[in-house]
Amino acid sequence: MLRAILLKEWLKLRWVWLGLALVHVGMLAYLFLSLRHQFQVEHSEMIWYWALELRRLLYDQLMLLPALTGAVIAVAQFTPEMIGGRFRLSLHLPVRGDVLVWTWVVFGAGLGLVLSVLDAAGLYALVRLFFPPEAAASAVLTALPWLLGGWVAYFGTTLALLEPAAPRRLVYLALGLAFLGLLYLHRGYQEYDRILPALAAASLLFIPAVILPAHRCRHRS
Amino acid sequence: MQNAVRSTAAQTSGGGPVGALAAESTTGPAPAIEVQRLAHRYGSRVIYDDLSFAVPQGKVVALLGKNGVGKTTLIRLLMGYLKPSGGQCRVLGEPSHALSPATRARIGLLFEGHLAYDFMSIAEIERFHRPFYPRWRRDLFYDLVDRLQLPHEHKIANMSCGQRSQVVLGLIFAQDPDLMILDDYSMGLDAGYRRLFLDYLKRCLEQGGKTVFVTSHVVQDMESLVDEVIFLKRGGAVLQMPLAAFRDGFRCFRFDPRGGPMPAPDALIENVDLHGREPLLYTFATREQLTEQLRERCPQLRLAEERAMTLEDAFIGLTGKY
Repeated sequence: MLRAILLKEWLKLRWVWLGLALVHVGMLAYLFLSLRHQFQVEHSEMIWYWALELRRLLYDQLMLLPALTGAVIAVAQFTPEMIGGRFRLSLHLPVRGDVLVWTWVVFGAGLGLVLSVLDAAGLYALVRLFFPPEAAASAVLTALPWLLGGWVAYFGTTLALLEPAAPRRLVYLALGLAFLGLLYLHRGYQEYDRILPALAAASLLFIPAVILPAHRCRHRS
Repeated sequence: MQNAVRSTAAQTSGGGPVGALAAESTTGPAPAIEVQRLAHRYGSRVIYDDLSFAVPQGKVVALLGKNGVGKTTLIRLLMGYLKPSGGQCRVLGEPSHALSPATRARIGLLFEGHLAYDFMSIAEIERFHRPFYPRWRRDLFYDLVDRLQLPHEHKIANMSCGQRSQVVLGLIFAQDPDLMILDDYSMGLDAGYRRLFLDYLKRCLEQGGKTVFVTSHVVQDMESLVDEVIFLKRGGAVLQMPLAAFRDGFRCFRFDPRGGPMPAPDALIENVDLHGREPLLYTFATREQLTEQLRERCPQLRLAEERAMTLEDAFIGLTGKY
């Protein structure tokens, strides 16, 4: 049964996910070209000055990509369920509703996580090509809030799509956007190092929360 | 009006037939569907106030009613997608809002509009559903679907409504359910696909032991399919009886008012149709009973011959045109 549930999710997401994977690889390639270009047209000292004195991010092109990816995955995964009330088809399957919905989000979030790992590994490798390992590790730590933004955007969009009542949908969207806003306040390196574990822990609350709109969808009064 | 069950607060007071059914249901097997004192409303609009009926196991029962009387709402309540404001529904012995996965596996549900995962192909949708149902009949699915002469990689999104209906019906048959709930199976189907749908359904029913609860706007299809009919009227009034009893007992008479007062629906007269070419009167009463009553209330009225009716005529006669 689990394989069947995962099969359906993969059928919905495969092309979108492969498209997103291409976009992420393309973004990393662009980042490589951009960094290389800067080292070719500027003196190394100047780039060091930008990075260390002015605290200018040299890879901020990546900033919004995880959040956008999370939202796109959620839309691709849950819009087919909600159009025409197809969610009822899934809710009639002989499997517990909470298990079903959690399997869906684990799969969707898992696909997003694969792209996040790709981003983090790619970012580390790229920065390592031009900077010492400390700078590469710092780049990944700096990008972690953006990657968490992907998780938040995925669950925020999921909640808004699964929720049957329009006012609650707006509340979920507002909560998601507010959380995302918290993750994009920084201007320099590693500014979230101390608060990020707390934000990550708070974002875990999204996992049980998805059951609520699904339950309301099942038992509308 | 033998073997008939009427429900609603106003109509149950007559008592006799309702009591008969209650006695029957305590001695026979538990009904596949049991609705007791169901109430539901959308905002201030009351859909049902006090709706009660039962679908016996092994029977094919049609829920008939005009648009907007709440047929689809009732299906949604039965499957737990809506929470009733009052009363209760039990499906295969379990409360409809808390059906266990094992019970859901025994219910084949056709959603209005032949809802399906249209991003899947024929093969994918079969592969997806198969693991959920222990009695899965792959042969039945492909027996029906292969008649479409489409490759198994064909996407459901690219199918016509009729083709999609075959796939959905194939999935329900392959599930080999004990109870089928078919919500407006005829929606969007031409006569050929409708007939095919019914032929397969009848063939499936020949195995025995299946209960079917069906709604449809194509009343004439019910003639050869169902054992019992439930007529649902606006506000939740319900009349349940064997189809044969309805066909035998429901009558239509032409009449000539001759300038006197027009008859109106009452305990004896179900409906009066003054919109047609000739005035018609519908009743479960015999000609003699009707004549006697009309002699008192509309003395100038002359009752003409009884008219033969199709099931659709009788349905419209009972529920009215408007």
